[in-house]
Amino acid sequence: MSPSHASDVPVYNPRNYLNSPATGLKSWLLTQDHKRIGVMFLVAASVFFAVGGLFAMLIRIELLTPGPTIMDAMTYNRLFTLHGVVMIFLFMIPAIPSGFGNFLVPLMLGAKDVAFPKLNLLSFYLYMLGAVVALYGMVHGGADTGWTFYTPYSTTTVTKVVPILLGAFILGFSSILTGLNFIVTTHTMRAPGIGWNRVPLFVWSIYATSIIQILATPVLGMTLLLVAVENAFGWGIFDPARGGDPVLFQHFFWFYSHPAVYIMVLPAMAVISEVVCAFSRKNIFGYKAVAYSSLGIAFVGFFTWGHHLFVSGQSAFDAGVFGILSMFVGIFTAIKVFNWTATLYQGSIAFKTPFAYFVGFLFFLVFGGMTGVAVATVSLDVHWHDTYFVVAHFHFIMVGATVMAFLAALHYWFPKITGRMYPEGWGLVGAVMVILGFNFTFIPQFLLGNEGMPRRYFSYPERFWALNVASTAGASVLAMGLVIVLVYLLVALKWGPIAGPNPWHSRGYEWDTASPPLPENFEETPVYTRGPHEYDEESYANPPPVAPEPKHAS
Amino acid sequence: MADPRSIAHEEHQATHHAHGMRYVVVWIVLLVLTVVTYAASRVHLPGGWHVAVALLIAIAKGALVALFFMHLWDQRGANRLIFVTSLAFVALLIGLTILDNATRFPLANPPGSAGALPWGGADRDPPKLP
Repeated sequence: MSPSHASDVPVYNPRNYLNSPATGLKSWLLTQDHKRIGVMFLVAASVFFAVGGLFAMLIRIELLTPGPTIMDAMTYNRLFTLHGVVMIFLFMIPAIPSGFGNFLVPLMLGAKDVAFPKLNLLSFYLYMLGAVVALYGMVHGGADTGWTFYTPYSTTTVTKVVPILLGAFILGFSSILTGLNFIVTTHTMRAPGIGWNRVPLFVWSIYATSIIQILATPVLGMTLLLVAVENAFGWGIFDPARGGDPVLFQHFFWFYSHPAVYIMVLPAMAVISEVVCAFSRKNIFGYKAVAYSSLGIAFVGFFTWGHHLFVSGQSAFDAGVFGILSMFVGIFTAIKVFNWTATLYQGSIAFKTPFAYFVGFLFFLVFGGMTGVAVATVSLDVHWHDTYFVVAHFHFIMVGATVMAFLAALHYWFPKITGRMYPEGWGLVGAVMVILGFNFTFIPQFLLGNEGMPRRYFSYPERFWALNVASTAGASVLAMGLVIVLVYLLVALKWGPIAGPNPWHSRGYEWDTASPPLPENFEETPVYTRGPHEYDEESYANPPPVAPEPKHAS
Repeated sequence: MADPRSIAHEEHQATHHAHGMRYVVVWIVLLVLTVVTYAASRVHLPGGWHVAVALLIAIAKGALVALFFMHLWDQRGANRLIFVTSLAFVALLIGLTILDNATRFPLANPPGSAGALPWGGADRDPPKLP
């Protein structure tokens, strides 16, 4: 199959996964097609992104004035818990791996589906079940513990934490099943010609993510069960009054939840590795370094959890060990950053919307990463711990990077998923608003934290007022940017110009099939004689119009 | 690239070859270890050693189940590697957590636990006051 050229009239693939074998609701709910499951994950995760974003806006409105603005303290505590739970468990963890990963991994490996399609569907239903149980808990009582559920507070609070814990427990299984599926798919379903050194970088990162999902998520399940057991039988596990150790909870919780940060960021890096090649029309600089550094991050990510416990009563010796180990993540991340920027060098850069998000991603990753090395230093962290500095740090590195990559992926693969193009002009407007809005939201929070404003309080002294207003203003710009993105993407779903199989002239394997792809992905099993990021041939390094505007089919 | 069918085939072969005697022996060993767990709980051991012994026996039993009842003994390469990796990560979780308790300011440990002051626990002297 040869990818299309700009001179070709873009064609909408008439027999695609969206309309065959059937279009009814039942055919979607019982589908085993990885593409449909991926799209369902994407839609669900996007809805939860909107819900979590709504909570965030309410929090920012409350913080607009030093005293009570629109709610009382208890409502505020519930809101920031809901914001964290929804954004982390329902949006960031599943969005890229379960959404885009499901859609793209088989396409990128030349496979017809994932290794276990039924397990894949089960993973989606577990996700929905976990979401419903957690949302039930949020509506009926809510929780005021923060998304970390620290003991002994979480076992003594009057709010209802158990349904939310149960929801997170179920969501963990969804995560494990998806990870298992991707690992087996990557090992056993690669098309002829795709040796390990030709596996697309997206798949490498998703593979590393899957390893974390399988190794770490069971520990979260175990921890949540122990909390339930302590509640039910009165055993002293985490409760010091009964001989338990509350810091033990933090060890267990962060043994999952710190690697979970890489469950969110590694898929973001997966997207960026693809986008940077496609829009600079260059081979990736250092394929192996980028691929193996994903595994390096997955590995080292397991050795760092204690940096969340610097002021929790953890021993000073352990804190020192964890502080140093945490900094190793910076090495592997830097390898990626340098390789991406080296890829840009002398590239033929097309500044399209996905590339704009790549630029935003790079800024948030580097800025967030550098502040991460700073807070991994024990003596500095004692000053910043539980202040807005930490809030701003993890929003930059984890949320900023993930959301940038999510939006980059949404725009880059929108033509593949839907067969249509989004409006490029509006895309850039949205990207600029989102990136600037994000900066204006969180840079003031870095400053607030450094001045000593603590997290998780609904009121603050008047001297923090101006920066809080700035942060809320930034959040409003961010929200408006996201609404613009939502509106033009929904419009483009129906009225967008036909994209054709490969509007970006990308060399990624997934672009070799029609848009939207066939239900069985490829007409015949593809055989690959080149790597997924090879732009060496003249026609690919400099395609006829460098970045063609797609045309209407009619 | 491994063909999934060949894996299934190998597994089938392996199950076929494993004679029933093996399961009986493993089952008896598991029963014996259960009795040993009970017996060890009656023996006087210092400090936190009861937990250590119980955990060791539990790990041995778990390993037997995984190796024989779950057929890991008959597997090759990657599957064994994955099992060993999971053990390494369990060791990591327990190791760095215990390192915390062992090196912590003693009063920050729960009373009665290893590393705590003053009753039970490890043979640790309280810090000398000036």
